[in-house]
This record gives sequence, C-alpha cells and structure tokens, in this order.
Amino acid sequence: MLPEALNASLQEKISSAEHPRELVVDVMLDLQDHYGYLSDEALEAAASLLDLTPLEVEELATFYTFIYREPVGKYVIHVCDSVVCWMDGYESVQDHLCAKLGIKMGETTADGLFTLLPVCCIGYCDRSPAILINRNVYGPMTPEKLDDILEKLRTEAG
Amino acid sequence: MPNLIIDEQEIEVPEGTKVIEAAERLGIVIPRFCYHPALGSVGACRVCAVKFLQGPFKGVQMSCMIDAQDGMVVSTTDEQAVDFRRYVIEWLMLNHPHDCPVCDEGGHCLLQDLTVSGGHGIRRFQGEKRTYRDQYLGPLIQHEMNRCIQCYRCSRFYQEFAGYRDLGVMQIGSRVYFGRQKEGSLQSPFAGNLTDICPTGVYTDKPSRFSGRRWDYERSPSVCINCSLGCRTVVSARYRQIVRQEARLNEAVNGYFICDRGRYGFYYAGQDDRPRQPLIHGKEASWETSLKAVCDELARISDTFGPKAVACSVAARSSLETLTAVKRLCRTMRWQDPAYGMDANIHVKVKNAAAAIDSDLAVSLGELENADYILALGADPVNEAPMLAMAMRQARRKGAKVVLVDPRPVDLPFDFVHFPMAPGAMGHWLAYLLKTLSGPDTPDMPGAATPEHSKGAAPENLHDLWHTDQSAALTKDLFQSSRPIIVCGTDIVTNAVPSLASDLARRLRSMKKTAGLFYLFPGANTFGAAMLSDSDTVFEKILTQIETYEIRALVLVEFDPFFSFPDRIRLEAALQGLDMLVVLDYLDSRSAKTADVFLPTETLYEAGGFFINQEGRAQKVPVAFQGGRPIIQTGAGSHPPRTFSKDIPGHDAKPAWRVLTELERGASGSLDKEIRFELMQWLVDAHSMFSGLLSKGPFPDAGIRIDAGQGAGARVEQDQSDASHPGVESDDDLELITVDWTFGTEELSVRSPFLGQVEKAPCLFLSEKDAARLGFSHGDRVALRSDEGTIEVKLSPAGNMARGTLVLPRHHRLDWQHMKALKIELNKNQILKPHGNA
Repeated sequence: MLPEALNASLQEKISSAEHPRELVVDVMLDLQDHYGYLSDEALEAAASLLDLTPLEVEELATFYTFIYREPVGKYVIHVCDSVVCWMDGYESVQDHLCAKLGIKMGETTADGLFTLLPVCCIGYCDRSPAILINRNVYGPMTPEKLDDILEKLRTEAG
Repeated sequence: MPNLIIDEQEIEVPEGTKVIEAAERLGIVIPRFCYHPALGSVGACRVCAVKFLQGPFKGVQMSCMIDAQDGMVVSTTDEQAVDFRRYVIEWLMLNHPHDCPVCDEGGHCLLQDLTVSGGHGIRRFQGEKRTYRDQYLGPLIQHEMNRCIQCYRCSRFYQEFAGYRDLGVMQIGSRVYFGRQKEGSLQSPFAGNLTDICPTGVYTDKPSRFSGRRWDYERSPSVCINCSLGCRTVVSARYRQIVRQEARLNEAVNGYFICDRGRYGFYYAGQDDRPRQPLIHGKEASWETSLKAVCDELARISDTFGPKAVACSVAARSSLETLTAVKRLCRTMRWQDPAYGMDANIHVKVKNAAAAIDSDLAVSLGELENADYILALGADPVNEAPMLAMAMRQARRKGAKVVLVDPRPVDLPFDFVHFPMAPGAMGHWLAYLLKTLSGPDTPDMPGAATPEHSKGAAPENLHDLWHTDQSAALTKDLFQSSRPIIVCGTDIVTNAVPSLASDLARRLRSMKKTAGLFYLFPGANTFGAAMLSDSDTVFEKILTQIETYEIRALVLVEFDPFFSFPDRIRLEAALQGLDMLVVLDYLDSRSAKTADVFLPTETLYEAGGFFINQEGRAQKVPVAFQGGRPIIQTGAGSHPPRTFSKDIPGHDAKPAWRVLTELERGASGSLDKEIRFELMQWLVDAHSMFSGLLSKGPFPDAGIRIDAGQGAGARVEQDQSDASHPGVESDDDLELITVDWTFGTEELSVRSPFLGQVEKAPCLFLSEKDAARLGFSHGDRVALRSDEGTIEVKLSPAGNMARGTLVLPRHHRLDWQHMKALKIELNKNQILKPHGNA
C-alpha cells in the first residue's frame, strides 16, 4: 500500500494533467524515490493510478535507464559509455570502479552502498569521461578522483 | 497516379502506395519482416532495401517507407541492394538459435526462407548469443523468445491493430523482449493471430505442436462456421484429423485475421466420442438396416396419420446443399414444411433482416472498416461475432465514431459511446431517431414498422430516454456523417428492430449518405436458411404439434435442440411422445443419444459445401480430407492396427444431403456423382439466386454476394406479442435475457478442449444499482427460480448496463434451458441467495 500522503500527491498531479498517461515517468520516479526502486508493487500502483495496464508501465519502466526495476544501492554510479567518454577512455574508469568495489557492472556491493550501471550519454561530454551518482555529475574522472569520491560517499553514509 | 519502373517493368499505382506494395503488384515480392499489409510500415527490420536508380530518391532505401512517385526507377536486384539485404539478414540472425529442426515454425518460416534466399549460409559471428526466458502465455500460444528478430509485428498487431493491452515490448537495445508483464493466459480473443503474423517461431500454435510439418499436412481453404461472419480460413489435416486452422486472406470479410473461437473451434470434427456409425436404439447397425428402419417407420406413420405427421428440423450449421436437400425431401414426401428456425421470434427477425439486405445497402465486414460513423443496435461484437469488433476498431482508428445501443455490459477494444438500454426500449428509441431524422419536409418515410411505435405505444419514460444530451449529440453526428453504417444484431433485440435498422439505413441513404447495413445472424448459414424458408414453420411450432399428436415422427438434421432450445423440460416431454426420432449429425449430441435411429453425417471438413454469411456472401468450402477415425484413435496413440481394408476406418459418415436423398429413395447405393449432379439442380430450383453459384470456372475466393432483397420475400408481419415495453416498469420485475459469449456458448467450439481452458465461468450480469437494490454484491451466488427449476450462478454486477435487465450466457456449463425462454421476466422474489437466506 502506498502511504496516504504520497498517494494523495500523485492523485493531485494526475488529476491536473490533460492526459494522465503523459505523467507516467514522473509517477514512476516519485514511486522510485519512495521505494528506493520501482518495485512490482510500485509498478502496479502506477498502473492503477494512471489507468494503464502493468504491461504498459513495464514497457516504459524497462526502457528508461534511470528507472530501476531491481533494488539498487544507496549510491547508483552510472558510468557513461557513449562516444566522447569512450574516446577519453571510460573503460579505465569502469575497470577501476569494478576493481575498487569488487563488483561487476550491474551489481551492487554487499554492504548495499554502491551499484554500478552504464549510461549512454548524459550530455557532459565536456567533462568526459564522466560519471553520474544520484543525479550529480562528476568528471573528467581519474582513478584518484574516483577514490576520493568513493571515500567521501562512504564517510557520508557513515 | 504515380507511374514508376521496378525491375524494368512499368506500373501505375494509386497515390500513397509504398514501393514494396507496387512491386508486389508486379509479382515481385521484396523481402520483408516488419512490414505487413494490415499493420503498415515502420522501417524497423531493414530487409526490404532496394536501390533507387532514378527519381526523387537515390541509392539504397527501404521500399516499405517510400511512397511510389512519378519517374522512379527501382532495382530490387541491384548488387548493392542484394548485398545490403544479405548483411541485414546476417545481423538479424546473430542471436538466432538456429533451431529450425526442432522449431514448430520450421517449414513455413519467413525468416528461414529469407535467410536461405538472401544468401546467408555460413555463420561468421562467434560471440555469445543473448538468450531469454520464455513465458507461459496460456493453452493456445507457445512462446520462444530466443528466435525473435525484433520486427515488432506482434506488439503492433496486439496493441495497435487489435486494441488489447497485455502483450507488448519491454526492455531496450539488445535486450528487447516481447511478452507479458507476468506469465499468464493472453487476454485477447484474437491472440491466435500472433502465430500467423510472427515471421519466425516466437509464437507458435500450441495445440498443434509436434503434429507435423506444414508439408505433411493436407491444407485446404475453408470457411469458419463458428459465427455468421464466414471468415476465410486454411485448415490443415493429417492422419485423418484436422490439426490446425489459420486465417486466410479475404479482403471482403476477415482481412488477414480470424478470432480464436474460429481458429481453435474445429475439434468437434475429431472428437473421441464422435458417433461414426448408424445406430438403432443405441446399437450399431449397417446403413442398409438403419435406412430401411427409418424409411419403413416413416412410411407407416405417413400412411397411418398422413404425411403431415412427419417433420424435419435443421440448424444453420448445415451447408446450403443440406438445407436444400431437407426442403426437397419434405416437399417430395409431402411432409411438414421444414423448420429452419428455432422459434417464431428468431424466424421473423432473421427473415426481415435477410429481406432488407440488398446489394445497394449491404456492406461487407471489409467495407465496414471505411465507415465514419457506426451505430450498433443490439450487438455485442466481441461475444457474438468477434471479428466484427476488429473491423469496428479499424474504422475507429481511422476516426469513425462508434455508438452502441445495447443492454449488456459490452466491452470493446476501443472507445465508444454506449447507451445501455433495455431490449424493449430499443425499438421505440429507434423510432424516435427515425422521426428526428425525417423532419417535417420528408414525407416519404420508408418502412412500415415505424408508425405504430410513434403512436401511443411508447411509454412515458421514453421521452426521458430520448431527450438526453447524448441522443442529441448522436443525431447531430449522424447528420454530419457521410459514410454511416448501421450494425444490427438479431439475438436479443425485439422483432421490430431489424426492420427499423434497415429503415434507418434507407433513410440515411435518402439523405445522400453512403449508408450501409450490417446484420448479425445466429448461425453460420442462417442467411441461406432464411432464403430457403418459405413458410412459418419453426421448431417451436413443431413441438406444439408433437404435443397435440399431429406430428408423430421428427427428423433432426444437424440440429441439437437439447443444446439450443430454451425449454428443456418441454422438449424432453415432447420428444418422448414421438413414435420416431431420427437424428442426422456429426456431434455426440444429446439428441443423437436420444434418437431411435441415428445416422452419422460428415462435417464441413469432410463434405464441403456452400455457406452464406450474414451479408449474403456465398462461399464455397472444398473438402479438406476424406474423413474416417483419426489414426491417433484407431491406434490408441501407438501404431494403427495392422489390418487391411478398402475403406477408410471409421468412415461410415456421409454428407447429410446424401443421407437425405437416400431417405427419399428408400435405399442407399446411388452413385455419389449422380446425386451430386442432381443436388446442384435442386439448388437452382430451390432459389433463383442460387444459380449464380453454379457457374463454370473456379468459384471466386472472396465468394459471391447474393442479393436476397426480392428473393427472401416480403417483410414478415411482426409478432405483436414481442412488441414489448421499454424496460420493466415495476421495480420488482426484471427481464432476463440469454446471450452469446465468445467462448462457452457456441455449439461447435464448446467441444474444443483448448477453448475450454480459456472460457470464463458462467456468471449473471445485472446493473450495480439493481444489485444494490436487491442486496447482492459481487461474487454472490444466486439462484434463479422459474417454474421449471432453479439454476445457480455467480453474480457479476456491472456499471455499464441497462437497469432492470439480467444477462445470462447460454453457457454449456449452465442449465440455462430451465429458464423456459430466451427472454423471460423474473420477479425479484425469483432471484434468491441459495439455501433460502434471501
């Protein structure tokens, strides 16, 4: 069950839209913020709020990179693998992160802090190779900078 | 009209024709996966590349995405284009499992054909293939995602074309996945088409798995007889049974698709307990003995009580040949006129509808897609004639308005305006509509049924019923439309409605609109039966005469009143009073079991024949296979018996028309060819319009439309007893109507074990307001009590239906025949909670 307040705020948003289904991404993001990821329950809730079928929500949920259909860590690190970052060697960024965190791309560390995912272009080609962590952009990345960021986030998480 | 050159051949095509279609008109089939004539172009697969040599486009381009234009010179065989297509196929095949030898699509696979013809013979890619987990999609469709080449045909058909929302495309990039959000049965009654449109083996026909390769099958064109639309199909037979049925293109009727009731409705033909031998009082007998027994007894009865003591009744699932032979037999023997209909009401509705159809007004299902306004009266398309819903959806997609007037909680795969109106109110409402359209300056109002409706007959609340914003909007839209089509059912409506519908269509015609008329009939060959029937004899009348001992012997021809007659107790009692009951059928019906003498007949697939659909289109069904007991049965699943005979085992059945001629002659043995020749002559004699069916040369694949207008006789006076009031006036009375469902109510398809798995359990619909008033809630079990018994059924309150109406499916798992009539009035005291705690 959705919390009363969240449900009410979503209902309000939807009722003011001309075509409720145009809000599907907003609704999914709001639900994701609440659950930490877009759980099956959240998916069904989004569908019933928007008068869509679960399939129709799933089609979009699995299309978008920033909608997570599985639980993710506290910090989701998206490594850009698009053309400019590739020219500037994103692979070394990726390899360093994998080695440092002891996980492969797509996995989450055992302590639940970090998830590694690729992303195809975040529009920060001027800072390539770039990464994105919980809606903050970092770049251009070097192994040292990566270490600093990870350390800082670890401390922050306590 | 653009003029272009493709492969050095010149062709002129209509504006808007894609190059791929233009080429097809020249007989050049450019490879394609995502392109499908019914679904249009998306340019996703890149395999239809051709080279444009001259004109507005240059170089290699997708032929499905470019409109044919003047001055284009196109080459499909240019080296660059051929090379391009070869590479496209190679990359489409990167992840393909190459499992053709074990794939059910192998042998009729577009991907297989194009891979071979495209020249991709050797696999170069050495990397890992991506693989998927398949889903359970129900008992009809087998899923195998690894074979997918991402053409998107399935999701485009399922969602865009058909309008269902539980199968689609998920994920992105190389992970794209076609399926459902969760495993489970597909909800669309058109899902079977996925097996036809998938160009590879992602969706294959589940019931016919492991039964053979396409080249093992005897394949022949056929027609579906599971409703009155007459969709074109292809049946595949192997080892003496039909194993698969697919859609066959008929642009005038079903287009490229069929519904699942039709696709999986053929299993009755190969049922284990299908009676295949003549039976005298349940004991097997030879044809000679049985025919002699019948002829002797009928002769005795005829001699003793007069020839009118013998009657024949036939159902609309018989071929035109059989319907004609019944009439001929009754005439020659001077028996009662044959009964082609169940009761007087159905008879009147069907006769009037058939008489109203002339080539000017009638539209085909294909033409219905071009309507800009559809008014459906007393029709529940998905439940009564599923492909009608598909055609209406295509019209809706092109912008047509759809208005439906029906008491039932009708669900359609598109948005429409629904007037939930009690059956009795519809006639009055229509009369009002006609009056509004007429106006004072149009004196020549066609039709006879209207005036008495606009006189005092209309009750007071009709005024409120008509004077609503919705009615006003409807009239305005109807005025503004240019291609309106009136769709009219003949099942739940009152007797006046079919005539009023034709009056309305004619009225719209006189307003300079390209108006059309489209009826639904209760059976596959009802139209043929209506043309042949020239008396008011109906089965119900025969029963009355049996009850008064005027009729002593009854011959039921491919008709099982135990399934379809609404008063079971009366039927049982009446049949017991007969001196002789003869049943000709191919079903293991209760009538067959009750018969004194049972004579086995052949199904459509073994006998073939003509069928006339609800728009008057005659289609010819060729023989699909020679009949006989399926090898799976004679061999009990193992090797068939190692005995030799000249006959096909278990093939004692004969076409019903043949048995009827043998009854006439008192013996079997005339040559088949001889009888067939005579039969054709009878067809011509039976109705002048049928002579067109026998013209030399191949019978047109799309059928021949028969203009019944003058032929079907004048409009039958309607039975006043059925000119019922709109809705039930007292709050204590409700009207119960019995209805068709997509699955579970149609005589032939209920014998399909696979449809049995997808059919819904029977339930009783009533409006939410009535439910609240009567103190019932969703899922309650209620008992409906009539003077003949009680039936228990689950209750399903619905918001979108008429008040005062109860809707009960004529479900084979329900003894609805205890309700005594197709429509009855029930007092609220007759609707109880079981165990008397109402």
